[in-house]
Amino acid sequence: MNLDNAQQTFIEESRELLAAMEDALLTLETTPSDADAINAVFRAMHTIKGAAGLFGLDHIVGFTHVAESLMDRVRDGEIAVDDTLIALLLGCRDHISSMMDAVDAGEESTSEDMLTTGMGLVASLEVYLGHPSEDGDATESPSAPSGSHTPAPTTDATGVENVTWHVSVRFDQELLRNGFDPLSFVRYLGTLGDLVHVEVIADAMPSGEEMDAEACYLGFEMRLAGDLTKGDIEDAFEFVQSDCTLRILPPNSQLGAYLDLIQDLPEDTVRLGEILVACGTLTERELEEGLRIQAGGAGASEEMSDDQPIQPLGEILVEREVVQQELVDAALDKQRRTRDAKTREARVIRVDAAKLDELINLVGELVIAGSAAETLARRSRNRTLVEANTTIGGLVESIRDSALRLRMVEIGETFNRFRRVVRDVSQELGKDIDLVITGAETELDKSVVEKIGDPLMHLVRNAMDHGLESTERRIKAGKPAKGTLRLNAYHESGSIVIEIADDGGGLDRARILAKAQERGLVQPGQSLNDHEIDNLIFEPGFSTAEQVTNLSGRGVGMDVVRRNIDALRGIISLDSNPGQGTRVTIRLPLTLAIIDGFLVGVGEGAYIIPLDCVVECMKCDPAETRCQDYINLRGQVLPFLRLRDLFGIEGSPPRRQNIVVIQYAGQRVGLVVDHLLGEFQTVIKPLGRLLDHLRGLFGGSTILGGGEVAMILDVQELIRIAVQRDAGAHAETAASNQTDLV
Amino acid sequence: MSKTIMIVDDSASVRQVVTIALKGAGYDVVDACDGKDALTKLDGRKIHLIISDVNMPNMDGITFVKQVKAHPSYKFTPVIMLTTESATDKKQRGQEAGAKAWIVKPFQPQQMLGAVSKLVLP
Amino acid sequence: MSETESHPALALEGELNIYGAAENKLRILEFLSRAKEAPALDLSGVTEVDTAGLQLLILAQREAESMGTSLRLLDPSASVLDVLQLCNLTTRFDVSGALECNP
Repeated sequence: MNLDNAQQTFIEESRELLAAMEDALLTLETTPSDADAINAVFRAMHTIKGAAGLFGLDHIVGFTHVAESLMDRVRDGEIAVDDTLIALLLGCRDHISSMMDAVDAGEESTSEDMLTTGMGLVASLEVYLGHPSEDGDATESPSAPSGSHTPAPTTDATGVENVTWHVSVRFDQELLRNGFDPLSFVRYLGTLGDLVHVEVIADAMPSGEEMDAEACYLGFEMRLAGDLTKGDIEDAFEFVQSDCTLRILPPNSQLGAYLDLIQDLPEDTVRLGEILVACGTLTERELEEGLRIQAGGAGASEEMSDDQPIQPLGEILVEREVVQQELVDAALDKQRRTRDAKTREARVIRVDAAKLDELINLVGELVIAGSAAETLARRSRNRTLVEANTTIGGLVESIRDSALRLRMVEIGETFNRFRRVVRDVSQELGKDIDLVITGAETELDKSVVEKIGDPLMHLVRNAMDHGLESTERRIKAGKPAKGTLRLNAYHESGSIVIEIADDGGGLDRARILAKAQERGLVQPGQSLNDHEIDNLIFEPGFSTAEQVTNLSGRGVGMDVVRRNIDALRGIISLDSNPGQGTRVTIRLPLTLAIIDGFLVGVGEGAYIIPLDCVVECMKCDPAETRCQDYINLRGQVLPFLRLRDLFGIEGSPPRRQNIVVIQYAGQRVGLVVDHLLGEFQTVIKPLGRLLDHLRGLFGGSTILGGGEVAMILDVQELIRIAVQRDAGAHAETAASNQTDLV
Repeated sequence: MSKTIMIVDDSASVRQVVTIALKGAGYDVVDACDGKDALTKLDGRKIHLIISDVNMPNMDGITFVKQVKAHPSYKFTPVIMLTTESATDKKQRGQEAGAKAWIVKPFQPQQMLGAVSKLVLP
Repeated sequence: MSETESHPALALEGELNIYGAAENKLRILEFLSRAKEAPALDLSGVTEVDTAGLQLLILAQREAESMGTSLRLLDPSASVLDVLQLCNLTTRFDVSGALECNP
């Protein structure tokens, strides 16, 4: 463990924060005043800024600092959220994300492009921040500017001017005895910003004998310059929160706020006025004016005191309320932030994914050992033992499910990423597109979720780019001007189904067919149904240069999407209705780790077929299967594969073989096996390198209760082999076969 | 003259991270693996701040802090306690023992540095 | 303690912090009660000053003023100057012998 690890943690955390920030910004698009969302954006900037500092990532500190300052003002209600601001902040989010990527990649310096982007964004942010107008007194430099003791301010020189906070603090007398040194807090503030002036308040210190040398009597009035937030200043005193009275006045506070401060403090008014003037917080003139207004206000209200007797300070009170509201808000906000953080900590535990994998692996072994024990128990015919084993079996199953559920995550998070993509791309394309997400709570294995992002991204972009028509064309076609893109997910028989649907123009079949013929994917004269034509776009080599735009292009075709899905033991298909839209359906296994299997014997070996895919089993009629590769199953052609032949198993088959009918994605194939051995729950172990040559037929291996290895059949691949072989034969003798069968 | 900070934790990795972070920030660091070890290592030397874990073998953090607060040369030394969670009961006992500042584990090095620099700058 | 008839001075050395605060307070008060004219604190040997130490300096000055005289700080060390500058107190005290450090 070293700081590199810590930096990795920082990068991961930042990515999470940036994701939360994006969600919050998108929420703000619909509800611009959502306080939680505003806070989330602020928190992301604040936390990343803080953490980046430790790792010396000054460029990130500098950039997030500007964004944080802006969000601070938004929190205070000084700046309103509008679409332009959201767009700008989304840009900032992306920029920080790229800076983070560069850090992750170990890049030492910032690229030109990134610098330019950063500078552009900072310039836009500063337009929002504006520059408070110069007061006369602020330009007069104080007689004792902060000396060499002040460590270099963390902010750059441009931000410092005239952004001056007033910090007033009094401490509990026990503070020193508790090991705290107020001077250290003052020094710490000096590292946050520029301590323009510090005034020591020793009024509370008794003289001579009465003074307790170990008690704390000093208070401080400070003027602190720098682009900081109220939270930054409060944080400096976090350890003595309950042992001090802290008052913070934001830059350019109303005069009334200072008068209020003077009233609140224990020292006498005239003396405090002098102190504030000494700090440079107020000018003589302002103080006089303030005191005069205060006196005058009191007098005025006395005259008309009948209806408003409790409002002696007139206008000043209003101003004071504003300020107090700010302070109250800040305090509440801080409380809420700590509470949020605490509940989040309590709800979520971070676990290394490798540990989870190990657990799931062990649970797999447990499942297998459990099966073995159950077989033995049954063989013993000891009823109590069988019962005990059944109980254990039930528990093992629950543990398996819980263990797998640990790794299950909702797909919503993945879907939500597309809100941003759709928003950006629709703007870029000048199309008006609505994204409708359903089934966001559908869960699937984290290992699957991690790999599904890229293919989904491609499909979503493709739908926006090619699927949905331009607004003019939609209106002309009598459709709503706004296009709709739907992302949906649901569970279906042990799989998760993900749909990407648009209400666009559908696929241009004539063009696809022409292109497929041109590329030699389809032979001239070969007749294909609509569904087959539509799915040609997943064929390798179909994607062409002319199809590539800057959006869905990037040289990646739909064939790559299919390859990705295949690798997940999934299947992708497409339905298109001309003029009405296109729907891509992806079907994926819920988990890559454990399956319920159906155990069959072929020759000496045992093989497992995923139970989800098994439709039925039947006796194999040697008369019907001797010289053809298909049977008539209730009037339907069912092609079958002889596993003995496929695996090259020598010797003669037993007299009575069985056919297992398997189905995947609507296609059925029969497998001829020697024995049916029953259902078996199993853990998929990846094929080792030694068995690499078997890849294609098998999706993995597993260990049976007795210790022997069983291969798991790759159903998808078997169906492909059968269908391909069948298609070859089918094309030649299509007509005659039909008549033969009936 | 840089300030000296003592880190007391039975986890070598925690000591290591804290030491790297503190040295990087310009502090001198003395480390100890439990309360007992820490007491022997105080040994009259100037310590500006103590960071101590709570759960440790031999002598736990609470007992250690009590000893520190009873020691004439160290009774006013600020102590930051590292705690795994907001174990209120322990926190209370720690407070009574004299530790007024807390950092919740797991913490980021910069959190720790931030807390430290509020009490002692390098 | 190094004091002469005309320039009574009390030398405070080492750490001027909470650990020695009670004792130092007694020394200072006792010294001021004896030194009638232009008392001074020799701070050249001070290695560290905390809030408790600063309070003592302020207390000393206040006591001296109440006795109708003023306190001088002689040759303050870098640690003393650092705190005085941080708190903007260099001009409140009569500091001598450290002009080169105090712009």
